Amino acid sequence: MTQRCSGAPRRAVWFFLAAIASHACFGADLLPPGNRPAAPETHALTGGRVIPKPGECLDPGIIIIRDGRIQAVGPNTAIPPDARVWDMTGKTIYAGFIESYWPLGGSNAPTPNGDGVEPISAWTAGVAPFHGVEGKETSPGRDDPRFMPQGRAATLYVPRPKQNAGLRELGFTAALVVPARGILRGSSTLVNLSDGSAGDAILRPDVFQHVAFDVRTAESRSYPSSLMGVIASIRQAFFDANHYMADQADYGRNPTSRKRPPYDAALDALRPCLQKQLPVLFEPGSALMVWRAGQMAAEIGLNPVYLSSGQEWRRPDLLTRDSSFIVPVNYPELPKLPEDEDWTQVSLDQLRAWDWAAENPALLRSNGCQIALSTSGLSNRKAFRKNLKIAIARGLPEKDALAALTTVPARLFGAESQLGTIEPGKLANLTVVAGTNYFDPENKISEVWIDGRILREPPQAPKARSSTDVASGTPDSPDAKTNSTATAQGEKKKQGVKELQELQRTRIARIPLEDRGPLAQPGSILIENATLWTCAETGRVERADLLVVDGRIAAIGPKARERSDYPGPPLVVDGKGWHVTPGLIDAHSHTAILGAVNEMSLPCTAMVRIQDVVNSETDNLHQQLAGGVTAVNLLHGSANCIGGQNCVIKLRDGANPAGLIFQDAPPGIKFALGENPKQSGAGDRHTTRFPQTRMGVATLIANRFTAAKQYLADWAKFKASGGPPPRRDLELEAIGEIIEGHRWIHCHSYRQDEILMLIRLMESFNVRVGTFQHVLEGYKVADEIARHGAGASGFSDWWAYKFEVYDAIPQNGSLMRERGVTVSFNSDSSELARRLYVEAAKAVKYGGTSEMDALKFVTLNPAKQLRIDSRVGSLETGKDADFAIWSGSPLDSGSVCLQTWVDGKKYFDRAAAAERAAHLDAERQALLAKARKCESLAGGGSGQDSPPGANFFDIQLEKQFEGRDRHCLEEER
Amino acid sequence: MNMKTLPIALLGLGCLASSQGLAAPSPDVVLQARVVHTVTGQDISPGEVRFSDGLITAIGTTVDHSGAQMVALTNQHLYPGLIALDTGMGLTEISGVRATLDLTEVGDYTPEVESWLAANPDSELIPVARANGIVCFEPVPQGGTVSGLSGLISVEGWTTEQRAIKKAMALHIFWPSMDLSPPSSQPGAPSQPPPRSLEDQARERRTKIRELDDFFEEARAYAKARTAAASGGTSPPALIPAWEAMLPVVTGEVPVMIHANELRQIQTAVAWARERKMKIIIAGGRDAGLVADLLGTNRIPVIFEHVFTQPQKDTLAYDFLFRTPELLRKAGTICALSIGADSFNAALTRNLPYAAAQCAAFGCPREEALRMITLNPAEIAGVANHLGSLSTGKDATVFSADGDILDARTNVKRMWIRGAEVTLSDRQTRLYDRYRNRPKTAQAK
Repeated sequence: MTQRCSGAPRRAVWFFLAAIASHACFGADLLPPGNRPAAPETHALTGGRVIPKPGECLDPGIIIIRDGRIQAVGPNTAIPPDARVWDMTGKTIYAGFIESYWPLGGSNAPTPNGDGVEPISAWTAGVAPFHGVEGKETSPGRDDPRFMPQGRAATLYVPRPKQNAGLRELGFTAALVVPARGILRGSSTLVNLSDGSAGDAILRPDVFQHVAFDVRTAESRSYPSSLMGVIASIRQAFFDANHYMADQADYGRNPTSRKRPPYDAALDALRPCLQKQLPVLFEPGSALMVWRAGQMAAEIGLNPVYLSSGQEWRRPDLLTRDSSFIVPVNYPELPKLPEDEDWTQVSLDQLRAWDWAAENPALLRSNGCQIALSTSGLSNRKAFRKNLKIAIARGLPEKDALAALTTVPARLFGAESQLGTIEPGKLANLTVVAGTNYFDPENKISEVWIDGRILREPPQAPKARSSTDVASGTPDSPDAKTNSTATAQGEKKKQGVKELQELQRTRIARIPLEDRGPLAQPGSILIENATLWTCAETGRVERADLLVVDGRIAAIGPKARERSDYPGPPLVVDGKGWHVTPGLIDAHSHTAILGAVNEMSLPCTAMVRIQDVVNSETDNLHQQLAGGVTAVNLLHGSANCIGGQNCVIKLRDGANPAGLIFQDAPPGIKFALGENPKQSGAGDRHTTRFPQTRMGVATLIANRFTAAKQYLADWAKFKASGGPPPRRDLELEAIGEIIEGHRWIHCHSYRQDEILMLIRLMESFNVRVGTFQHVLEGYKVADEIARHGAGASGFSDWWAYKFEVYDAIPQNGSLMRERGVTVSFNSDSSELARRLYVEAAKAVKYGGTSEMDALKFVTLNPAKQLRIDSRVGSLETGKDADFAIWSGSPLDSGSVCLQTWVDGKKYFDRAAAAERAAHLDAERQALLAKARKCESLAGGGSGQDSPPGANFFDIQLEKQFEGRDRHCLEEER
Repeated sequence: MNMKTLPIALLGLGCLASSQGLAAPSPDVVLQARVVHTVTGQDISPGEVRFSDGLITAIGTTVDHSGAQMVALTNQHLYPGLIALDTGMGLTEISGVRATLDLTEVGDYTPEVESWLAANPDSELIPVARANGIVCFEPVPQGGTVSGLSGLISVEGWTTEQRAIKKAMALHIFWPSMDLSPPSSQPGAPSQPPPRSLEDQARERRTKIRELDDFFEEARAYAKARTAAASGGTSPPALIPAWEAMLPVVTGEVPVMIHANELRQIQTAVAWARERKMKIIIAGGRDAGLVADLLGTNRIPVIFEHVFTQPQKDTLAYDFLFRTPELLRKAGTICALSIGADSFNAALTRNLPYAAAQCAAFGCPREEALRMITLNPAEIAGVANHLGSLSTGKDATVFSADGDILDARTNVKRMWIRGAEVTLSDRQTRLYDRYRNRPKTAQAK
């Protein structure tokens, strides 16, 4: 990180040291006899085409280099008498290119103890030590090497000539060396790609702090193990750093009157980020997470730069103008599949990702983003220029491409005064192309200059045909062949190349958002003559009208059409034969969560937030709209006694994650009792995490609530009487919100004893449980649940899938309802969520519940449980126009959902759904044809380091769980 | 014994006698229902069914009442018992408790493994399924490629022997996976084996199918050797239980059920069966709708497990799997439905009629949807001569319901198995009765 010196005396010391250092340097330059002497350092490059900066050209131009810097550049610059003169005729000279993302390889990646720095403490654990237990500071995660913000690539960088040469061959003269592992990875360093010492190479020691949403290296038992856990841990880390700064400042003011706060290298390393002196390079890994990283940077107050996921095309609407991206020019490479039929395994989404890839850089530019390019992720680095050419063919202006290699990275990396352009005073880093254009891969890099020194490939052996070329005076062109058969073959090949280029130039894949979003959004709509299941006092109303104005229900009942106090004439629809119900609400779902649904690691993960990982891109939204569902309670899994924070969404398919959120829903949190939090199903290796019994579950929850009360008291004390600020603890903060009544518990539970336990435990903290989830033995303690005032949200008829649900009965919901409990049926399943109306009908069957009350199990009652019933859950004037239209009674298994509306907008229509599927299939067929054609023209994959087509099969985070039914103990990441 | 408990005890004895198959003479019974769903013919409304000695003797708007015990099923529908093929029931008690699972055996080729002998007669799951109209089920032995023989099991009877309707209903093949595990550009966990090339994987696929093919060829050779020895001239081959189990498969007496879900699995399985001129049944069949014509042309029955599965391809309409059974039917395939043969779904076998209902809601004619859980599975199981529909001569294995059985609001009211009425109480109704009668607790805590 940046060293900041203050005070005049200190500065004087630095000057003195610098003087000694430079003197020592001169001494070292005079080598003992027998060594090759250093070359003179004044050069004049003449006769070449000079591109001083993107969009400018001197042809020919003269560049004067002295002492590693550009001394002058111009069309007629005088050539100093001491200069070695280089004839650059036929060559084009660019400012030296900058590789913007070059991971520290293999052995020189930061390791926990590699440079003697201690891994950071408390916050990596995410939880404070077990309340009341002294000396237990080392909670899980403490020794986690993924949190090393104090790591510095500058201290680890060792120039590796072979790797350097590989980059120089592509024209690069400098590179940002980045730490490659972990979550808070430490700082990157900007180096020249010279082969001398690291000290000579490093241009800026600390460029960015690197923050990666990386779960690949996570162990499922150490925090954080999930994407949402990673985000929570990053958030906590920066809050801790903030606190650290405040605490240190407080100590600075009161050194004699308070306890000395400990030094913490990691938190200290985050200080310049919070002061916006050190930008943060986020490595989010997916299109949605790029956006999330931006939200997070704003929340914390960071200066963000992003590593492009290559997938920003999924949601260009999420891009912020003027944000900066480092863009790997790394495209999915077509695989060679063994059999024709194997192409059936390739999804539309994979084909889209393949077809869109080359256009992503242009898309970022056209959305106003700054881009810097990188070879990162290329299995074969040599493909860089070829890929870049395709990006240009797809609309990236050459000028922008050049800027992305020069001026943009120079500015992003804070090296504008040294790199990026050919101007006097800048470093003599030059990229020289034989020919007229770098962006034509046929024009080879003839040399690069770094710090005023030329670096070239070893001379090539002269080619046999070169004599004829020279004799005839034609330029050395790879396509020029003298032999006639070779010419014919060459022609054919050339034709193929041309055809391939033509295919690559044109995108077939559509914008995914084209198939999504509202199908109709009339200002007002009147549905006439329908059967309305109001789920309100009016019950079921036959031949009634429903008037919707501006997204709200404006009138209902037989006389709605006679109302006239709405703006403009409504869209009138004949609803004869239709049944209209409130939109169904699923009180227990994991259907739109990116990454794991569980932060498996700790017994209490109250700090993780589903809101951070809402997946707006899943097809589940469409499929559940097709079952009449309009709102869903996204819950954390049940691996912990106290799980993560929930997020209630509306199924506004096509909206971004923020647009899905049900804004007025009060916050909630997942709790879990019984087998899951005590790890009964986790295997015999997992027997040491507390708790392992139902007794311990109660103990753990009581412990965290006691700690949270203490935490609230600490803050109250601080607010009243000042003193050192307490540390903001996101876990205890969330539990504190429960105690204060702002956050509702949704507790996974099965057995009657544990249900009663939580009721009594929470009553002792004056807390009312929001809902018991699953609650399959709720029928045994229905009176107690009713009296406590909790809701109960269960399955209609699931049972016997584990021991604690052997006593589950399908009459559970009805029996609890009869005893006064507000009951809902939920899905906990992306599949079952499509059929909640059939689940409701089972309450009629098994428990004899009336049809209207049964329908309320999936409409009004879940709305009440989520405290959103003032907005949704019934068809009543003033409520949101969230409703579903059915072909018959919603409780008749023979009925189908015809339309689903949210906020007065139509998001599902059965006829349109069929058309949509046809469009998607046609698009896939077209993409498949293109892929097959490209495959035959290019001859399949050509990757070297990784298997051909490796990244072609990568499934993006947003699509990771498509078609997979995730339950509450899902472990997969 | 007081007067109150006497009738219940007698009823219990009646069940007991009949389910033991004792030939105690009992009077003929005539059931009078609002609608009789024959499945093979028109619904009869109102209708009557007479049975004697466990078999249906008459059926019609009215039948001969003489000497019969009349049972008025007022406002009720009468159906043939539902048949749940391709289940994990009987071999599963609690999905999450290993000690209660007998579903999956070790080994790649275990044709001599038999499911009927381990189908727990006292499983609490079976009465729950029975209470929703299911009268028999097929527990599928799993694990490996040739996993074993499934039986067809009645939901009533004292012992496994009394319950086994058919001990060897089908031989099960779990078709080798055709999915390529694609290489990933993202480094995996260190413990993961290095990815094999796609070509290597393709070779392995072919090898696995050839091994399977060889297995059947060897079984045929064994059978030939047996036949040759029986007609004299050669010495009999050494007795090998696995090959012995394959004998009725080789002769075609026991059909082969191939579990295949993915498109290429179905295609290669069908191609194999055609080449070897074998009669097969496809079970699972997730992608069957994409090759309905192939299955229809080859007259291959399908037991479709995936009405309640999300579409597995991102170009499929949301309702594709709801519509697949109808696509198969239209293509000429006999389609039966299953809730799934895994342990989780064992407890949900009772929802079989709602799979049919879902198909009906999405375009399958209702009577055809009903057939997919009655007569079609009976035909696939080879028991259509006495189960699966209501007609003279068939088993009096029927149930009555207070509405359309394809409607989730409907309750099954009474059931007769081979003419004897059985109880519809189960673990769940017992718990319900117990706790609904829990006295309301006092207001104060």
